[in-house]
Amino acid sequence: MKTWQRSLVAAFALLALFGGAAYAQAPGAPPVEFPYTGNRTAVWVVAQLHILFAGFILGAPIFVVISEWLGYRKQDPRYDRLAKEVTKVTVILYSMTALTGGLFIFVLLATYPQFTTWLINHFYLLFAVIYPLLFISETILLYMYFYTWDAWKGEKKARHIALGVLLNLIGTITLFVIDGPTSFMNTPVKAEGISPQEFLATASLWDKIFNYSWMPLNLHRLVGNVTFGGFVAGLIAAYMFMGAKKDEERAYYDWMGFVGNLIGVGALLFLPFMGYLLAYELCDYDASICPYMMADQLSMFFEMQGAMIGLIFLASNYYIWLSMKRIEGVEKVRMTILAPIIMVLLPLVMTKVLTDYPVPDPMSLAFLLPMLLAPFTIGRFIPLTVSASTVIKVGFLMVVVGDAIWLTPHGFVPTGAKLVAELELPSDWNFLALMPAKNSAAFTLVFVTVVNYVIYNRAISQGTIVWGKIDFISQFVLIFLAFSAIWTMGLMGAVRSLLRKYYHTYNLLPDFTAESFTPTLSYSAWWITGITVVFYAVVSFAILVTLRPSDSKGHA
Amino acid sequence: MGNVIKKLVIGLVVGGALVGFTRAFEFPVIFQMMFFAYAMLGAVVFMILDAPAVKPMSGIKSVAVLVAFYIVLCTVYISGASMWPQYDPEDEKGKIEKILKPKRAATEQGKADELIARAKALDEQVKVLSARLKDLGGDQATKDQAAGGPGAPPATTGAASGDFMKLGEEQWQLQECYNCHKLKGEGGKKRGPELDNIATYLSVDEIKQKILDPKSFMAEGFEKEYEKGKMPDKYKDLMEEKDVVALASWLGTFKNTSVATPKPIKKK
Repeated sequence: MKTWQRSLVAAFALLALFGGAAYAQAPGAPPVEFPYTGNRTAVWVVAQLHILFAGFILGAPIFVVISEWLGYRKQDPRYDRLAKEVTKVTVILYSMTALTGGLFIFVLLATYPQFTTWLINHFYLLFAVIYPLLFISETILLYMYFYTWDAWKGEKKARHIALGVLLNLIGTITLFVIDGPTSFMNTPVKAEGISPQEFLATASLWDKIFNYSWMPLNLHRLVGNVTFGGFVAGLIAAYMFMGAKKDEERAYYDWMGFVGNLIGVGALLFLPFMGYLLAYELCDYDASICPYMMADQLSMFFEMQGAMIGLIFLASNYYIWLSMKRIEGVEKVRMTILAPIIMVLLPLVMTKVLTDYPVPDPMSLAFLLPMLLAPFTIGRFIPLTVSASTVIKVGFLMVVVGDAIWLTPHGFVPTGAKLVAELELPSDWNFLALMPAKNSAAFTLVFVTVVNYVIYNRAISQGTIVWGKIDFISQFVLIFLAFSAIWTMGLMGAVRSLLRKYYHTYNLLPDFTAESFTPTLSYSAWWITGITVVFYAVVSFAILVTLRPSDSKGHA
Repeated sequence: MGNVIKKLVIGLVVGGALVGFTRAFEFPVIFQMMFFAYAMLGAVVFMILDAPAVKPMSGIKSVAVLVAFYIVLCTVYISGASMWPQYDPEDEKGKIEKILKPKRAATEQGKADELIARAKALDEQVKVLSARLKDLGGDQATKDQAAGGPGAPPATTGAASGDFMKLGEEQWQLQECYNCHKLKGEGGKKRGPELDNIATYLSVDEIKQKILDPKSFMAEGFEKEYEKGKMPDKYKDLMEEKDVVALASWLGTFKNTSVATPKPIKKK
């Protein structure tokens, strides 16, 4: 796509934004009726597609600039090439972000004109001034960053990296700004003893932005975007590895896949805690949201989320396993026996400790931290060691056990109202369905993954990596990780929106349309899969269009 | 092949042991099946770990395998999500309609819709009455009224009281109070106090006060929940006055002293 074409798309998006704001002011615009999908699903599809593109273009530059800096510092051209290739794809997807953003506003205005007008009026300064300014700044910076890549090298490289940092700064502010109205719809400002309507009438723009779930949503999305960006970088590498003709190309894309996965997994480790923080704040805002999520209408969505996260952790650890196999001398690598012992004990001990000292009681850390750090602190003084292969296999066993605990529901029913003894956990085992057990399961997955990376690091310091010689199945693992991460984002996006129940803005502005009910998980899965496939098709096309010609040019 | 058989046998043995264990502890059959499935998942994971390396592919073959892989992923995710118990939206639609009806009526659009609906209903009634008068003659309607027929006066006081209690119970369901409070042995996850004996401690007015202002009373033993403001302070904005009174009146009938409802302490 040429510069003028990209500029056209960006101009279209801005036109949609301003035109949308103007259209929203037109009184009494009747809503349109989307055939087949209905209005709510139409908005859902377009919004989710926009968020996926936006998530990538905001997440990818974070590790792009880090990669560029690493390349500069280590004088390793592979990092610079990775950064540039991901930026190329980002530039194409930036246009798609603008396009879907404009489409989102049009669809929203056409389907829910009254609500959209109401929301724009409450955030007028943000939608009409702040957001467009940030959008324009980001567009200029992204294109500057991309087009100065080759010109600003050598002594000017630091200047280019600084530009990348500035791009990320603006990108992060843009994310935080747009999260204002988004989080406001879930947790609008309120004060004790005053009705939400009365309080809203006197609230400032900052009051509306700085609501209960704003900062948790910012953090969750920031970390989620990096995870997502990392896995998409892995996807790029997988495609290119599969199409590579030369050994050096395969070696490079094998390396890139590993780095992409490392970034994805590294950020993924923080994601459960960010998600937990967001859920905690939502429950704190209104305790009735909690049972709706965990025990009632959305409980099975969370079962599916557990299944997806379990699969993602299994796949990412399997990728480490395959990566280890291409290290010469890996069979000599050993680790203290404490590591597998603690892996096995962790779910049990952590469930007990978190039951006695529930989150956020810091006493739990006094018990858990020494145990978690034991393999790395006192492990070296214990003469008994086991092979890397044994540690990883025990890790896999515990990932399966962790998944099993995470997925064990209180009852096999879609809502607590339909719970009967034949579908309910025996009361003595009910602890398996409570938060301490779920937290311990999530932490077991994280702990196993960290230990596996520690072993990997030990292996590469003692052996030699033969880049390009990884088992071909690993490329499918990378593709699987990207697909599953995107699918999970779609699922959790649906959950966050559904938490508003039959309101456009929770407890403030009811949704009187016939579609304001909780859809089934099955129906949602169809649409989430459809959205993922469309996004995937566009990204795959962008990768092939952008990176195939670079094959012949050759890289340093 | 040996790898697959060995892992399969181990998976079946572990799965069988888990089924035996869960059966011994009286887990429902669905949970026994679930634990068996986890054992088989473990077996599959270990089969994959020790599987031989896949040879590199290229060209059309790799594209075909890739497309097939995506089709498998889509199928697995959709069918996987469809296998979990599905919430029936019909269960919720009626509730939502009842909750939103007064809110809709309060909007300009709602008022206009209501007026149109009333006008239509009146028009229909006029048509029916005209037809009946035509068929039966003018004095027939008076006789009907005296005999308690269709023209009889509205419900008696006893029936109205019953309806009022029904409205209270309906509010309990609509506002999903059962998600936090146990009543008649149903609902509640210890988030809020059990309410079967609430009428021993609180009058209808006091219950109403607690619903509208959750900080007005604190249940003994629920100090943490009280401090955190676990009971949502939103019902004064969400519920109609008559609905709150109906819910409080209905709760005011619960005096089951065999249930240990915690004592409410007045705070305001």
